[in-house]
Amino acid sequence: MRPRPRIDVASLPTLAFGPRAPLWWGVASMLAIETTVFALLFATYFYLRGNESLWPPAGDPPVGPATAGLFLMLLSVPPMVMTHRESGRGRRLKVMRFWLIVSMAIGLLALGFRIAEFGELPFRWDHHAYGSIVWAILGMHGIHLLVSGGENLLFMALLFKGPVEEKHLLDLRLNALYWYFVVAWGIVTYALIYLDPGVLRS
Amino acid sequence: MSVAERYEPTVDADAEEARQLRETWKSRSGLIGWLGETNHKKIASRYIVAAFVFFILGGLEAALLRFQLARPENGLMGPDLYNQVFTMHGSTMMFLFAVPIMEAVAMYMVPLMIGARAMAFPRLNAYSWYVYVIGGGLLYGAFFLNVGPDTGWFSYVPLSGPEFAPGKRVDIWAQMITFTELAALAAAVNQIATIFKYRAPGMSLSRMPLFVWSILITAFMIIFAMPAVMAASSLLALDRLVATHFFNPAEGGDALLWQHLFWFFGHPEVYIIFIPALGMVSTIVAAFTRRKVFGYTALVLSLVSTGFIGFGLWVHHMFATGLPQLGQSFFTAASMMIAIPSGVQIFCWIATLWSGRPRLAPPLLFVLGFVFIFVMGGLTGVMLASVPLDIQVHDTFFVVAHFHYVLIGGAVFPLLGAIFYWFPKMTGRLMSQRLGKWSFWITFVGFNLTFFPMHILGLNGMPRRIYTYRAETGWGDLNLLATAGALVMAFGLLLYLINALSSWRHGAWAGDDPWGGEGLEWSVSSPPPDYNFQHLPTVSSRAPMWEQGPDQPVVVGLRSDRREVLVTQLIDAEPDHRETLPDHAIAPLAVAIATGVTFVGVIFSPWAFPIGLLVTGIALVGWFWPRDESRELLEEQP
Repeated sequence: MRPRPRIDVASLPTLAFGPRAPLWWGVASMLAIETTVFALLFATYFYLRGNESLWPPAGDPPVGPATAGLFLMLLSVPPMVMTHRESGRGRRLKVMRFWLIVSMAIGLLALGFRIAEFGELPFRWDHHAYGSIVWAILGMHGIHLLVSGGENLLFMALLFKGPVEEKHLLDLRLNALYWYFVVAWGIVTYALIYLDPGVLRS
Repeated sequence: MSVAERYEPTVDADAEEARQLRETWKSRSGLIGWLGETNHKKIASRYIVAAFVFFILGGLEAALLRFQLARPENGLMGPDLYNQVFTMHGSTMMFLFAVPIMEAVAMYMVPLMIGARAMAFPRLNAYSWYVYVIGGGLLYGAFFLNVGPDTGWFSYVPLSGPEFAPGKRVDIWAQMITFTELAALAAAVNQIATIFKYRAPGMSLSRMPLFVWSILITAFMIIFAMPAVMAASSLLALDRLVATHFFNPAEGGDALLWQHLFWFFGHPEVYIIFIPALGMVSTIVAAFTRRKVFGYTALVLSLVSTGFIGFGLWVHHMFATGLPQLGQSFFTAASMMIAIPSGVQIFCWIATLWSGRPRLAPPLLFVLGFVFIFVMGGLTGVMLASVPLDIQVHDTFFVVAHFHYVLIGGAVFPLLGAIFYWFPKMTGRLMSQRLGKWSFWITFVGFNLTFFPMHILGLNGMPRRIYTYRAETGWGDLNLLATAGALVMAFGLLLYLINALSSWRHGAWAGDDPWGGEGLEWSVSSPPPDYNFQHLPTVSSRAPMWEQGPDQPVVVGLRSDRREVLVTQLIDAEPDHRETLPDHAIAPLAVAIATGVTFVGVIFSPWAFPIGLLVTGIALVGWFWPRDESRELLEEQP
């Protein structure tokens, strides 16, 4: 039998970032799923608003802790970008650790303000449909803050303990991507719950 | 990458490589090995078996319903049990059979069809299966404890709300939804990454098999549709468990909100079931006419447009709710429009059959049965898209007839054909053709005897979901006919089952390529080795088995001492990089159990949620923490 021609792939790299990596597509698909969930909750909010002549039906929600939380979330992004960049260029563990810790600490503080935010709300989830949807949206986003914070913690443990593999650089970058996603939805959530009824129409 | 040298393996080198690959990819033995399995073919086989078990259970429930309705004022079941049984039947068939079986067949076949050694996230497949089985087990466990849900498979509020459905029944239903949708989402994410990144070199998007196209589009539909039902059932659970008011009009909630959320999922769901079946039909038609399918581009575009239009139809389930007229007109138009891509596909298949040399083997018979039944169901679908007719027959047996024509005709018949077609690849043995033909004809006749009379019953005014009816209605004869038809159909399906089970043990040996198929799956042994391909193939045609010569290059240079796979570029499938997949792991089971305990726990106490979240988090750390022998390490280590 005549031998077949061959393509040798042994020299190809074992690491690639961005849409070249299958894991990037896995995370992108997951973000698409969660975007759909947020979009549906927002649609629910507007659907319920259509049934009320006065919105919000029970006065504006207090804006203080939410604004502080939003500010902290935004503040946590630059250090995450630093980690992200270091994973591509210098790959120095110390630098990645440092910025990850900074970002995570600020993020956890933001989570604390989210909890305070719940305490400040003048209504509960079982008072009326408005209360239900506000608690659902803030809760959904709060769970994202919590889970993403947990993920940051996991990567920090990995960077301190090792062994750190090359592919963990990809994981770190996707972790950063997830954090940007959570902050982005934090901005939109804030706009929906606080700017829409309280500021823009006052 | 140039096609430089000719590959001249010595026999020894080849055998040694195969031995190493076997060692690297082999399954672990013992119970722990079984529980930690991650091979896509083994998980998919379990998925297929589990889905067929649920199909049988759902079928037995259907038989009970038919027996109850066989004559007027029958006393076999009371209203409460009847409600549970029809809810179980619908929920089982939609959530535990139809979607999972399609995902399962894809999980088995897609890597073989695209020339890959595995799927992108092997552990996620295992997780998906465990979550699915836990969800199904929850539903049936509850049913046998007389806590089976009883509000129909779409569980409308306020009937399913806290006021009218006390107890735990609807909560069980809502959580079963969460489980099965989570499983489907995990499988869909896996399919997208696999299809985009693991195709053999040269298999550009324009050369991808039509079945793979259909699975890709289905996966995207799952990603945008399934979250809606998870959100809806979670909001319902919140209303029931912690007294939120999403669906409570007295406190500003809205019952129609449920219908919008549910059908935003529910209509695409029909296409999620149906589009993989279209891919199966194209595959079978090509194999049994011995020519490439006519109109590849038209077929792909039809699948894509069906995927889009499928999201613009949901309100046609709600015509009876008094929506604004402009909205109704829009959804009528969209519902009629979807007949266009379906029609294009039917004509492409007819053209293929016309210009080929059809071999009437059982898979093609099932496909021809599909064409007949599905066209009937499609026609009643166009009728139902019209608001006046829909309002007239809303919630009658006419609708029951319509969606069984569409779903059984559109999905189950192609599925039975596809299982028959791929059975030799999965088991190494052929199913009996003779028995296959008998089972087809009996099922086909039985199906029409069962469901055709329901059109007439519906037009005569018989509502769905009634547990009995009076003799004066005159519905008795047609109902008896439908019940007789159901027995015939059940017999046909039983023959199919017997055929599959006995062929599994005693069927004739199939060889690698018993049908002369066109796709790469037929280039490997039956059943394929754990690593699928010793040398990854390359592709220069849409029908690689028919059109590629002996000079088609193969891929070498992937390591065989670890589970290394080749990642290619999204559009052109040029080789891009290599990556190593994880080994067996028990972690997916642990995470599935943790999520299971969480979702079941919240039915009884909200505190299960934070506790479950924590436990799931710990289990996830176990999933991700590196513990295999180290691989490509960074130079700098802590």
